[in-house]
Amino acid sequence: VSSDYAGRDYVSPFDERVRPAEPLAPRPATIAGRSVALLDISKNRGAEFLDRIESQLTQAGAVTSRWTKEIFSKPAAPALIDDIAAGAHLVVEALAD
Amino acid sequence: MIIESASRGPGRRHAIKGLQRSQPASGLAPGSRAPDLAVTGTDPVPVSLADLAARGGALLVFVSEECPTSAMTLRNLGPLCRAWDEAGLTATAIFEDPLDVAIRVARGTGWTGRVVSQDPPYETSRAYRLLTVPTSVLVGRNGDVAGTVVGWDHSSLAALIGQAGALTGQAALTLPPPVEPLLKPGCSSKAALDPRVAAAISRPAAEDEMEEMFERGWTDGLPVVPPTRQRVDAMLAGADGSVSLGLVPPSMGEATLERVAACAVLAGCRPAYFPVVVAAAKAILDPAFNLHGQAVTTQPAGQLLVVNGPVRRAIGLNSGMGALGPGSRANLTIGRAARLLVTLLGGARPGALDRATLGHMGKVGFCIAEDEETSPWQPLHVERGFGPHQSVVTVIGSDAPLSISDHRSRTPEDLAYILAWAAASTWSTNWWPLSEPSVFVICPEHAEMFRAAGWTKQQLREFMYEAVHKPAGQLRRGETTPVVSAADPDADISKWASPDSIVLLVAGGEAGRYSAVLGPCTGMGAHIVSREVESG
Repeated sequence: VSSDYAGRDYVSPFDERVRPAEPLAPRPATIAGRSVALLDISKNRGAEFLDRIESQLTQAGAVTSRWTKEIFSKPAAPALIDDIAAGAHLVVEALAD
Repeated sequence: MIIESASRGPGRRHAIKGLQRSQPASGLAPGSRAPDLAVTGTDPVPVSLADLAARGGALLVFVSEECPTSAMTLRNLGPLCRAWDEAGLTATAIFEDPLDVAIRVARGTGWTGRVVSQDPPYETSRAYRLLTVPTSVLVGRNGDVAGTVVGWDHSSLAALIGQAGALTGQAALTLPPPVEPLLKPGCSSKAALDPRVAAAISRPAAEDEMEEMFERGWTDGLPVVPPTRQRVDAMLAGADGSVSLGLVPPSMGEATLERVAACAVLAGCRPAYFPVVVAAAKAILDPAFNLHGQAVTTQPAGQLLVVNGPVRRAIGLNSGMGALGPGSRANLTIGRAARLLVTLLGGARPGALDRATLGHMGKVGFCIAEDEETSPWQPLHVERGFGPHQSVVTVIGSDAPLSISDHRSRTPEDLAYILAWAAASTWSTNWWPLSEPSVFVICPEHAEMFRAAGWTKQQLREFMYEAVHKPAGQLRRGETTPVVSAADPDADISKWASPDSIVLLVAGGEAGRYSAVLGPCTGMGAHIVSREVESG
């Protein structure tokens, strides 16, 4: 609830709670020897992009794994996020065609 | 138009042909001390005339948004500002408008100099004794007025720019030959208005309740009803406002009943509509509807609400003439309340998290009621398992309606064929089959033809499904589906994955043979969701 200049009380349609920003994870100095999860969101040709990225990551010494979201238009399932977080140091997500 | 120029001697005034010498002087005499600027720019550091003029002088161009001559001046001088700046002359557009307006106009006219804004009562315009915008004032490095040009006057402006070249020591400062008229009178400066008039037209937004709603961002772009405590309480009608209906994607604001009520007030709903708004909110927040995907997509999709049952008549929802158009407060405000929920609580603002390339007008709000009394068939909610006396809101991700005229068909087969093929290019010309729902709104005269022939709804659906098909080879141009790409060229592909992808409703005026089809929102895995309207 907030007031205007005339002291009227308004009911805000917004969720006024302030959510603290999640801090960024520390960035590794090198990707050699790191486990990199490659997440395909199931959008057209995303896999082609990840194929190229995977090839370059592998050449740089990273260990890659491939994951796929059920559908691009929904958030990833919590179990999928947990599985990726449990085994990977880094994630690359291919967003769209 | 009056020119004063230091090069022509202090105090000399030249009336341009066609104007009366008795016109009051506008601007300060050359050699006068140029007043400092009481303006706001995009930079948090206050704008200082001394800083602007420090290198080789300052060109101040006083303008306002609604003045065509101002726009013309900005258009003509705007592209030159960068070169002038490199030569030491700083050009600044001083708007008698709010800063956001100033920035928009400057961008639109191609002005590349600085942009600043004055608030009422336009002290800087008053200090420079402006009667007219545009007025261009050249200020020398010493802080004195070197010359003034009122209105658009190409030759005088060229002389002024030449004079600036002399001040900066850069003879190359010029104004190119004109591509627009040589002379164009300006408009009244707001500083020259009666102070009461100026105050009335420039009242700060915070003093106008309707404008304040825009300032707060509590809008979809149209004026809203301010959600005072009294109005929201009336909307809630004693319900517990702290009850949560869930989180609204994509930004996951919590939809408490009180905030939903605030959206309903903003949208213009009467309290009697609120149970329908709540049912709609519950439906669109059902994960099966995938509002998350619909809210952020580049597709045009909006959320279509279909209302069935006794509540339609109880609150005056229109299912008759103009059923998809304007005129009915209940339809327009209930649909708008649901969209405001997505926009304000879900954060799906166009251009921000709502990434729709075009969108469509139904995204302001889209609520239709089925004409169950005219329909020869079971209404939508009964098809979906509700009783005929239950009131139900059904939500469907939908594109804009495409009208289908058919005044000539004399058999139900011909009419069904016309209706079905009208949808052949929905979503995309060669995107076959569609598995998401296409919604056909059948007008009463068309419905009557099917009723008279004894066609059931399922019979019509199956006929339409069977009618629209093509060999895959004819669908392989431009955007097409993986199904088409993988199929044998002779394989028959239907427009819809099954008859169940066709939703049939009846609504519209009793006269006129215009039905409509609303294409789907695709790729979302979004299902149709229905929720009963619970009485308060």
